[in-house]
Amino acid sequence: MPIAFKDVSHIYNADSPFSYVALDHIDLEIAEGSITAIIGETGSGKSTLVQHLNALLLPTQGELQVLDQCIDSKQKPKNLKQLRKNVGLVFQFPEYQLFEETIIKDVCFGPKNFGVQEEEAIQRAKEILKVCGLDDSYLEKSPFDLSGGQKRRVAIAGILAMDPSVLVLDEPTAGLDPQGAKEMMELFVQMNRVYHKTVLIVTHDMEHVLSYCDQVVVIRDGHMERACGVKEFFSDIRLLRELRINPPAVIQLRERLRSEGFAIDPSIIDIKQLAEAVASEVKHHE
Amino acid sequence: MNNIALGRYLPLDSVIHRMDPRAKIGAMLLLMIAIFIPAGYTGYMVIGVAVVLAALLAKLKFSFLWRSMKPMLFMLVFLLIINILIVKEGFVILQIGSFAVYSEAIMQTLYIVIRLMLMIMITTILTATTKPLDLTLGIEDLLKPFQVIHVPSHEIAMIISLALRFIPTLIEETQRIMKAQASRGVDMEEGSLKEKVMGILSLIVPLFVSAFQRADELANAMEARGYIPNKKRTRYKQLKMAGKDYILLLISVCILAFMISIQLDILPFTVDWI
Ligand SMILES: Nc1ncnc2c1ncn2[C@@H]1O[C@H](COP(=O)(O)OP(=O)(O)O)[C@@H](O)[C@H]1O
Ligand SMILES: [Mg+2]
Repeated sequence: MPIAFKDVSHIYNADSPFSYVALDHIDLEIAEGSITAIIGETGSGKSTLVQHLNALLLPTQGELQVLDQCIDSKQKPKNLKQLRKNVGLVFQFPEYQLFEETIIKDVCFGPKNFGVQEEEAIQRAKEILKVCGLDDSYLEKSPFDLSGGQKRRVAIAGILAMDPSVLVLDEPTAGLDPQGAKEMMELFVQMNRVYHKTVLIVTHDMEHVLSYCDQVVVIRDGHMERACGVKEFFSDIRLLRELRINPPAVIQLRERLRSEGFAIDPSIIDIKQLAEAVASEVKHHE
Repeated sequence: MNNIALGRYLPLDSVIHRMDPRAKIGAMLLLMIAIFIPAGYTGYMVIGVAVVLAALLAKLKFSFLWRSMKPMLFMLVFLLIINILIVKEGFVILQIGSFAVYSEAIMQTLYIVIRLMLMIMITTILTATTKPLDLTLGIEDLLKPFQVIHVPSHEIAMIISLALRFIPTLIEETQRIMKAQASRGVDMEEGSLKEKVMGILSLIVPLFVSAFQRADELANAMEARGYIPNKKRTRYKQLKMAGKDYILLLISVCILAFMISIQLDILPFTVDWI
């Protein structure tokens, strides 16, 4: 298990009149090499949860195991720098963290902080920028001259260039156009499939969860409501309703057909399988 | 960051809270002037008693006032060291080898500390008992007479209220960017000087960028809602001075007069005990 939360609680402003329980006894394990979606309403504690992964926040109670390090309330892990390097955390709207004069310098900033030599950092940055869809003509441009979506790519490249083994993204597609969002999700899938990174994505987009993720973690008012596979999650229509989640189109179609009297397996989450099921059902009745 | 007491409004219900912001600002200015008059410890005793009474009336806890003074502690230590090194008057109170600490060094530090403490307490009482918005209304009204000499009182008040509005936003933004850069390996505690400078740069640049962006958006939003500087505007909230407000001002004027008379030595009795 590269990541395990053991009874983790986080209280903001503990011991003050403004104290607020943001995470409440979270037990959670994330399998190595998986893509996990973290979902929940705004204010449910998703960002708080992911900030524990590289010890930006320490648990008020409980402990978590991240890779080979243990994080608890008392102390920062001994090898904090190593942890931050291995767990790449991309904040929401990361384009606001760009600051260098040129894109290449900004992407090199992270690796250099972690002791990578100048030349190697530049080499890595170039490769990563290409993977992120920005060719060499961008290298010497100012990051502030780019469009919003491109800025975000640069910011994400800045984290990827650190070569983390766990990649954590807090609402990476918020505010992007559908095409841009799709490309971004495909980039993360590539990071998982080709570079074997464990990926955690905070998202509100159920289509993305269905198409790109393996596991789902549902956070609700600081509690962990559910952690399961994507297939199981989208089969549990009652849970979806209870969470007031707008299911992906395929699931909506499946449920519509089922309510119209089609005997369709509720664990189907794939449009092709759904079409086959409908066809066989129709044949059956002829 | 969330424990800052300096400048924070405390929503309580007290006589002081209900006073007119103009009276409170006026009293603060009068007392500030009084503090700057070098009237010796007698004068500061009088102001001190007045301030403590005001704090009691405002139902403020002394722990709160104390916290508002904490940021000053560093300055105090700094001041004390400088004074110990420089001031060589009075009698020796401590001898370490060939180095002597003189009584005047301590006394002068104490003198400045008392002044600073009084000033911070007065401003803290003002800001803790007055909503930021009322404060700006008060400032706007107090600046009105200066419009004859083209002081843009309304604009100044608007600028102040906007600045106050954005302080929490900027603090939040700062924390966010600090965390984001920490994720990229910025380490403000350890690391070489060059790394620290880069760390600060990686915080300041994004902060400015987003502040300018916000300012731009805010200006557009204000214009879209028909805000035009210099134009006459009506106001929903009208300020009214009442009896207690005049009493506050009267007391402040009396304290100032007392300080001036000590300084000019025109009191019928002597207070020269120090
Ligand atoms: N720095 C903070 N101080 C106090 N409360 C906070 C802080 N950050 C977040 N919170 C509170 O914790 C709760 C969870 O926040 P967050 O983790 O950002 O939620 P999400 O990312 O799911 O929208 C919210 O109610 C929020 O108001
Ligand atoms: Mg969030």
